[in-house]
Amino acid sequence: MLEVFIFATLNGLVTGLLLFMLASGLTLIFSMMGVLNFAHASFYMLGAYFAYSISSYLGFWTGLLVAPIVVGACGALVERYGLRHVHKHGHVAELVFTFGLAFLIEEIIQFLWGRDTKNYQQPDILDFPLFTLFGQEFSAYRGFMIFISVAIFIGLYYTLTRSRIGIIIQAAITHPHTVANLGHNVPMIFMGVFGVGSALAGLAGVIAGPVLTTFPGMAVVLGSIVFVIVVIGGLGSLAGAFVASLLIGLLQSYAIASDVGMPDLLDLLGVSFERSHPLNDLWTMTLPQIAPILPFLLLVLMLIFRPTGLLGKREE
Amino acid sequence: MLKKLAPWIGFLATMIILPQLFSSILAISILNQMAIAIVFALAYNMLLGQGGMLSFGHAVYFGLGGFMAVHALVMIEFETVYFSVVLIPLIGGLFGLLAAIFIGSFSTRKAGTVFAMISLGIGELIAASSLIFADFFGGEAGVSGDRTFGPLFFGVDFAQDVEVYYLATFWVFVATVFMYLFTQTPAGRMANAVRDNPERAEFIGYSARKVRFISFCASGLFAGVAGGLFAMNYEFLTEENLNAATSGRVLLMAYIGGLGYFIGPIIGAVILTLMNSLLSNYTELWMLYLGVMFVLTVMFLPRGFAGFIMMHQMAWHHGKLKNLAVPYLITGLPALICLLSAVALIEMTHTQDEMLQYLGMSLNTASAFTWIMAVAITAGTAYGTRRSLGQLRIAWENANEPLTGDRE
Amino acid sequence: MAILSLHDVTKSFGETSIIRGVSLDIQVGEKHAIIGPNGAGKSTLFHLISGRYNVSSGTIFFKGETIHNKAPYQIARLGLARSFQVTNIFPRMNVFENIRCALLWSNGYRYSFWHLLGREAKLNDKARAILDEIGLSDKAHFPATELAYAQQRALELGIAIAGGAEMILLDEPVAGMSHSEAENAVELIRRVTEGKTLVMVEHDMNIVFDVADRISVLVYGELIASDTPENIRNNPRVQEAYLGEVATDA
Repeated sequence: MLEVFIFATLNGLVTGLLLFMLASGLTLIFSMMGVLNFAHASFYMLGAYFAYSISSYLGFWTGLLVAPIVVGACGALVERYGLRHVHKHGHVAELVFTFGLAFLIEEIIQFLWGRDTKNYQQPDILDFPLFTLFGQEFSAYRGFMIFISVAIFIGLYYTLTRSRIGIIIQAAITHPHTVANLGHNVPMIFMGVFGVGSALAGLAGVIAGPVLTTFPGMAVVLGSIVFVIVVIGGLGSLAGAFVASLLIGLLQSYAIASDVGMPDLLDLLGVSFERSHPLNDLWTMTLPQIAPILPFLLLVLMLIFRPTGLLGKREE
Repeated sequence: MLKKLAPWIGFLATMIILPQLFSSILAISILNQMAIAIVFALAYNMLLGQGGMLSFGHAVYFGLGGFMAVHALVMIEFETVYFSVVLIPLIGGLFGLLAAIFIGSFSTRKAGTVFAMISLGIGELIAASSLIFADFFGGEAGVSGDRTFGPLFFGVDFAQDVEVYYLATFWVFVATVFMYLFTQTPAGRMANAVRDNPERAEFIGYSARKVRFISFCASGLFAGVAGGLFAMNYEFLTEENLNAATSGRVLLMAYIGGLGYFIGPIIGAVILTLMNSLLSNYTELWMLYLGVMFVLTVMFLPRGFAGFIMMHQMAWHHGKLKNLAVPYLITGLPALICLLSAVALIEMTHTQDEMLQYLGMSLNTASAFTWIMAVAITAGTAYGTRRSLGQLRIAWENANEPLTGDRE
Repeated sequence: MAILSLHDVTKSFGETSIIRGVSLDIQVGEKHAIIGPNGAGKSTLFHLISGRYNVSSGTIFFKGETIHNKAPYQIARLGLARSFQVTNIFPRMNVFENIRCALLWSNGYRYSFWHLLGREAKLNDKARAILDEIGLSDKAHFPATELAYAQQRALELGIAIAGGAEMILLDEPVAGMSHSEAENAVELIRRVTEGKTLVMVEHDMNIVFDVADRISVLVYGELIASDTPENIRNNPRVQEAYLGEVATDA
């Protein structure tokens, strides 16, 4: 029992931190531009694919370094020539644009790389168990994922709160005109933040690719969960996104690992239903079965009872 | 009076005549798809274009209506109930309405991003639940039925697709009329008001939330009707009909067609159905082209194809429309050639064959000459288009000059 | 009989206190002006009365019913209407439709989806009558955004009065107008608010002294005086805080 719990916690941590890498970029972009970027998970996917291609020729570590930069550049270009142009058509147009972009990126990836799953390998150096507990191994690669995530967050935190550019960015988020009047190039800042946010997503793709499989549907799988996180955590709140990411990551991990279900609950209550009962599906539901929909259930509940999320600040 | 009814008569007449002109099995199938798409897209636009509510999960009402419709077909087949299948789309509509009433009761509190996110969450929730609740949704295999049972309708058992098409024509016409009339009612007009200025709408006595709720329910009703039509046509529904991809497709249709015009979604539905069914026969990459077209539309034609057509209203009003014919040709021709040769390049890159069949030509992908020509033509016509934009702009301004005697 | 009563109303946003204990009674049929320096909280006061903001403390009564913390649409239905400082019309409708929408609720249409507005003769006649009154008849089918500024303000006023409200709040109705435009506007305001209660925020002192039966002076969220125009003019506190120049060139 304990071993299941420990590994579920570790796996939940890995997932949660990965999700935060995505959610943080999305939150920054939303705070800055008021637009929820649907194509954010697409940049994640691009990161994985670029890293796959680069690592096929130049090794994993080159991919780790170069792929996020390429993705960040793509993001900056998208902001400069796409989003900025659409901005004047209004909020709905921006959302629809990013939605269309997500669709387009998926198609472009299929065009350039094909529809099959790519054999994106972990680097050999990390292909060993970091430790073994109760007979189960925890791979070094996952440990590496945790390490990179935490390193990035610390870097992000210090950049935003201690560095000069970080303070300017924070100011530009709430008072872009004032910051512009102070002589800063706000459009350039926007482009930069969008680029960095996309690069973060790309980085997440680079390290997640080998583990979560690199295939054209990977953006869809993670994309909706990231939105759930950003909304649950509170639109515009990085701390909220952090809490929500870990929450969802751990929740899903525990749900999948547990063996509990409705039948257990019904047993407890001393109730039983016939197999032919119309709501049979409901009574035989198990926790692992509904694990994929838990985030969405949470999302809907949160939006009904507390639309600003856990720690949200930005009100529409 | 006749002038107002003319477009409707024309609409109905066109729908009735089309299968006589295009009577192949493929054509009928495409027409049926168009009919379903038109109702679904119009229903969606009640929400987005008229109500200002962006939903990423509207397939839920389409799918739920469809599933209920298929179950109704099954019940007719096994004589649990006895009524004509012509009412099936109505069953779909009623169930869509029920779902919308339930979900709308808590999701219409706010518009904007919150609404979009709730719709996304609900959509995913229900699509995922459909695999769990296998009794109603049939699990991975979906639910299937047979439309040829129950009492005959004037001797028709709807075994043939064209018979289904004429039934669909009836429902499409009825649904379209009602959706149009809705825009002329207090609820419909206030939906527009709430879309543009929810604050002011409240200050003239209307609860913005309630207005949105009504639009939401109406939209769910007609989406369910579309689902019912789908059930009649395909006799088969799966989780796919509830999922985000289907929701995305109807958003595409409405947006490309033009949100701000009633006829917009109809145009979008027709275009998308044609691309889906015809283009996909010629190239594997049609989805890529669709994606490009969508993004370009959002960027450069934010009011859609309908908006593009309506832009010419002033020029037409002034009788200067023909002045634009030549300028359009001067810009349009190189633009068209540029597009075609760019597509050729993409197809050549993608194909495994040595000889690519393209627009009646056989292009040799192994030959450097072919590549150089394609690149040259694309680049040349792109440049030519760019250069000719100036004269188009001048012609456009001339055509749209206010005449003397117009408003100051 | 006081149609509107404020008792010790306060409003704070976080630490910042905008309205600090305002008490005010407005009588039926009164023409009341609220003046004060910029930032005094005049618009905030309007927002509190019309339901856009909730009060931090205190009560507001309209025709004997509590209206503080009620939703704007509930308050509007009781017969209290307002116009806005920044023109707040329905941009994608034409002028006629703007007015017609404002008529819907008070003419009993509620959320009907079975009445076809084109056929509602009485309603359409009423809308045309209002357009006549505000002088926009010839612009009926113009998109609302294509009107000149002064005409938009007239439309703004039209939307506010269309519902037949008993009390009208006007927030700087003639702001940004030329002298002759303002004169016409004031004439219009006088006409359409005959027999109704009017509360107006205004900066132009000539208009204020011309139109108002009573004037209240709001400074830093406090009402420092509420009296007839003459008494206000001679009130030393008011002169010190606000009126300075006007008193000397009277």
